[in-house]
Amino acid sequence: MRTLVEVVARCDARGRTVLPVVRASGQLAVRRTGPEAVHLVATAFGPLGGDDVEIRLVVEAGARLAVHSVAAAVVLAARGESPPSRQVVHAEVAGVLHLAPEPTVVTARADHRAELHVQLSDDAELTATEQVLLGRVGEEPGRWTGTTRVERDGRPLVHTTIGLGPGAPAWLPPVAPRAYVSTVWIGGPQSEVATGVDAVRLPLPGGWVGTAWGDELHEAVSRLASVTPRPVDELVEVAR
Amino acid sequence: MTAALLTLADSRLPAGGHIHSGGVEQAIAAGVLTDPGSLAVFLRRRLATSGAVAAGLAAAACRAVDATDPVAPLAALDAEADARTPSPALRAASRQQGRGLVRVGSRAWPHPAWAALPAQPHHPLALGVAAATGGLTPRDAAHAAAYLSISGPATAAQRLLAMDPITVAAVTARLAPEVDEVAEASVEDLPAATDPLLDLLAELHAARTDRFFAS
Repeated sequence: MRTLVEVVARCDARGRTVLPVVRASGQLAVRRTGPEAVHLVATAFGPLGGDDVEIRLVVEAGARLAVHSVAAAVVLAARGESPPSRQVVHAEVAGVLHLAPEPTVVTARADHRAELHVQLSDDAELTATEQVLLGRVGEEPGRWTGTTRVERDGRPLVHTTIGLGPGAPAWLPPVAPRAYVSTVWIGGPQSEVATGVDAVRLPLPGGWVGTAWGDELHEAVSRLASVTPRPVDELVEVAR
Repeated sequence: MTAALLTLADSRLPAGGHIHSGGVEQAIAAGVLTDPGSLAVFLRRRLATSGAVAAGLAAAACRAVDATDPVAPLAALDAEADARTPSPALRAASRQQGRGLVRVGSRAWPHPAWAALPAQPHHPLALGVAAATGGLTPRDAAHAAAYLSISGPATAAQRLLAMDPITVAAVTARLAPEVDEVAEASVEDLPAATDPLLDLLAELHAARTDRFFAS
């Protein structure tokens, strides 16, 4: 199934954010949950192997947009030979974008590809958090491949691809975690390096990228919090 | 032409690679690298991530030498290398080895393209220019980069763990099909594969004062 979500955030004459475009088709609906916030709502099971989701976000200068989701996305394999499912987020940001969906759970045999492409203008601000859990309780882990590319004025700030799950080339015992969390933040001074147990924060021009992993998602989230300068509540909506 | 490729991949080429362990020293300290089996796992991990990235960048840099003005494409590739290497410790190690290779490569194969590189280029860029000026192809550059991503770290493991050199040579040689596969897949592409474990190990290592290797 093909799914397309489009949201445009604009700053009106009085300096408030309005959302002139809030559109969704396919297996996601999008709900306005605040003056500058939307939640993605799954209207069907999945994503299933072969599903294709594209999310286009535009945050114009002076506007703010927060994108959340109401529940974890549970990626399921299609019957028989299951092709990968894909979710691509394209964001053009001149204002402030906060992207913090609920975790993605990749069930056994499923293969999910997530891509985030962000174009920032000079004084834009971005917070993008990703939470991944391989397999439900008692289940074999699925495969997840996530690519993040953030550019500012055409210059790449970060471009990384992480592969998790059986068969991923850098997911090998003894370090083959089931849970993975990562946040990219751009919008201030370049930060210093910070390290913790299975967690690392690295500087980016105008910000940082923090990554943590573990056996359980809550463990990875608190490890990420141990190396990030912002409270974890601001980065993720953790299932508590 | 094959001799130029062998020269580039030879650990005796005095480009300064021997002082870098490619994360091996810290992997040993962290207890994830202890024996030939875990060395093979570590090398495979490194090959599939930083090896693939280096191979793609080296091939692209080799190709960039043919441009009318290689300065802009090489600067763009240097920015792509930075974006794929957010770890300051890994960036420093790459640029240090790049500078070492420029020093020997520009003497071995004099060519105007050396002057088109940024001052302290990432190692794969210097490798790509060395390949081009030595009469090699982008495919050769990718193969050299992929091979170098494991050969130096293997030697470092041998030295640090006092492993049997024949065993280590065998571990490395057995990875040859995977080295070729990574190189071939990277010739026309700029992979961005990354391993957060290697980033963490590199930063922990850089903060140590009791280390033998520079990285």
